[in-house]
Amino acid sequence: MAEKLSTKHLLGIKDLRESDIGLIFNAADRFKDVLNSPVIKKVPSLRDITIANIFFENSTRTRLSFELAQKRLSADVVNFAASSSSVSKGETLIDTVNNILAMKVDMVVMRHPYPGAGIFLSRHINAQIVNAGDGAHEHPTQALLDAYSIRERYGDVAGKKVAIIGDILHSRVALSNILCLHKLGAEVMVCGPPTLIPKYIHTLGVKTEYDLRKALNWCDVANMLRIQLERQDIKYFPTLREYTMLYGLNKKILDSLDKEITIMHPGPVNRGVEITSDVADSKQSVILDQVENGVAIRMAVLYLLASQRD
Amino acid sequence: MKSLLVKSATILFPGSSLYGRVADVLVENGKITSIGTGIILPEGAGEADGSGKYLAPGFFDLHANFGEPGLETKEDLETGAAAAAAGGFTGVSLMPNTRPPVQSRSEVAYLVNRSRELLVDVFPLGAISQERAGKDLAELYDMHQSGAIAFSDGNKPVADSGLMSRAMLYVKAFNGLVFSYAEDPSLAGAGKMNEGTTSTYLGMKGIPSLAEEIMVARDIYLAEYNDTKVHFTTISTAHSVELIRKAKEQGLQVSCDVAAHHLALTEEALTGFDSNFKVKPPLRTHEDVAALRAGLMDGTIDAIVSQHTPHEIEYKNIEFEIASYGILGLQTVLPLAVCAGLSPELIAEKLSVNPRNIVGLPVPALAEGDAANFVLFDTDTHWELNEGTNRSKSSNSPFMGQQLTGKVHLVANNGQYFTF
Repeated sequence: MAEKLSTKHLLGIKDLRESDIGLIFNAADRFKDVLNSPVIKKVPSLRDITIANIFFENSTRTRLSFELAQKRLSADVVNFAASSSSVSKGETLIDTVNNILAMKVDMVVMRHPYPGAGIFLSRHINAQIVNAGDGAHEHPTQALLDAYSIRERYGDVAGKKVAIIGDILHSRVALSNILCLHKLGAEVMVCGPPTLIPKYIHTLGVKTEYDLRKALNWCDVANMLRIQLERQDIKYFPTLREYTMLYGLNKKILDSLDKEITIMHPGPVNRGVEITSDVADSKQSVILDQVENGVAIRMAVLYLLASQRD
Repeated sequence: MKSLLVKSATILFPGSSLYGRVADVLVENGKITSIGTGIILPEGAGEADGSGKYLAPGFFDLHANFGEPGLETKEDLETGAAAAAAGGFTGVSLMPNTRPPVQSRSEVAYLVNRSRELLVDVFPLGAISQERAGKDLAELYDMHQSGAIAFSDGNKPVADSGLMSRAMLYVKAFNGLVFSYAEDPSLAGAGKMNEGTTSTYLGMKGIPSLAEEIMVARDIYLAEYNDTKVHFTTISTAHSVELIRKAKEQGLQVSCDVAAHHLALTEEALTGFDSNFKVKPPLRTHEDVAALRAGLMDGTIDAIVSQHTPHEIEYKNIEFEIASYGILGLQTVLPLAVCAGLSPELIAEKLSVNPRNIVGLPVPALAEGDAANFVLFDTDTHWELNEGTNRSKSSNSPFMGQQLTGKVHLVANNGQYFTF
């Protein structure tokens, strides 16, 4: 493949051009064929490349998806779980990562609790970085797999209406999704408790809606975010019960809509909180397709980044 | 001190009959001995060419951090004073952001005694509350008696309205002054930068302007209620300027200052997550910068401060979220004031005259027989802040490696002078 990404790292959707996203989607199409092949589940593309998955924050799902993508590409993989710390309490981020790189690692996949950690690191280390989530900033592979799943369902992302519903304030999925969907020509609305919607979110060119039913009636696709109480430093709503009363999606609401919308969720699902089981398991839900597409998208990203190397 | 002749400088000493005119000034033994034109250079005396430059009372900084006691790896009195002198300052008042905090007679006396030999006069600010914990008043009178110029809890806002009210009222007995560092911690929350377009784009929680303004409003009310003075330090928002403008029109005893970097930088500087732009109050918007500049021009904002906050590289070269707040400031105040469009006359007012008036210190005069306390500066020389010109022990300035306009050429005070 002659075409190359315009960036050395994947730090955020911000740095991608529309053509980069097209390139990633096309590569993902091919890797999805590999994944679904009854015989060859593995390609030798990243043989002799060592990738470290450095997770400064727990994430079973994303780490597993990256690891599978790496193994399907025949890369050597090491996993490292670390805790982020300040100066007074242990090793710095640069030191941690440089210690791993000294063991001849070519690429770093990093999850970190602080916004911009990957961008900061890219200025100080000499390896390619894939951002697997940095605080409430970006989670580019999630946004790519979400958009890819919409493209798979509808043939195209352009012109689609996507509602992102839930905790927008603490979500890295929301920001990357907004940026990615806009680059691909979709319209985006955010919906959730007013305390969990950033005051200046409109500057990103999205609509805001506090009423779940109105948001659902507007959209083609509803991306239901996971409520992550552990990300909230203070209480932004009284109880999960009340959250579900206002923003929980159940089958009754879904069936009462004028049209059949698609339900997405980045996982893991809190069944009975943001969506009920019958919604999660309904034919309108593409939650498991998202998981499968996640591996293909991550294979595509790693493959394209590796082909940037000298 | 070697004798010194300043030739052909434009005089900006307020009240001087030569204000705005060009003159020579001769300094011998630390005292001004002759003012006029065509003064002959005495044998062995140093000479400073003042043509195209301005001679004003030495600048005075109401808000700086020197790290003593306890944080000497960031800055000590000698390096801090060297940076101050290079920035044109002959007096600084130091925040009690130290370990331990400057909260009793002994810390105040320590700083006063330790700084006797310096060109720069050091005036400690005493903590308002014990341990700057915002609970109980520190020994304000005792600190006042031993040389504390005013009171502040430094970078900790006084969240408790009752405590702030009692502090303002208590110091009234000895004509003391309380600084307000206006931020409501419960509204600032976990924010690390201004709440706005940029914070949304960066996925960062924001500190709303409101967190500052609600405290400015509160402390204006408290000053009015108690019939006392209050000084707001490092205000950063357009609405704060408006609140203080109205309070002044009402005749309340309110004064305020702005940090030089808030006159030049906006939140957009943070898009690269560079912690050398991480300051508190945070960098705000273009509208705020415009309002702060306008506030200086119309007299609402009395003074410009450095908010000089040195940090070792270990506290800055880390993730933005956990990096320490604050940047170097002393050497960049003048160029940033020039950049903000202030005339040389206004610079002398905001940097030399008003800061001393706020804390009740005499403004140095230009008179034969008076001690020499002045700065010689211009507003058009380009220079670069770099490891060679930086005098601080730390190097956490966003202006490092940049060309700046407006230079200090000479400072004199306490029988000493430095040329740059």
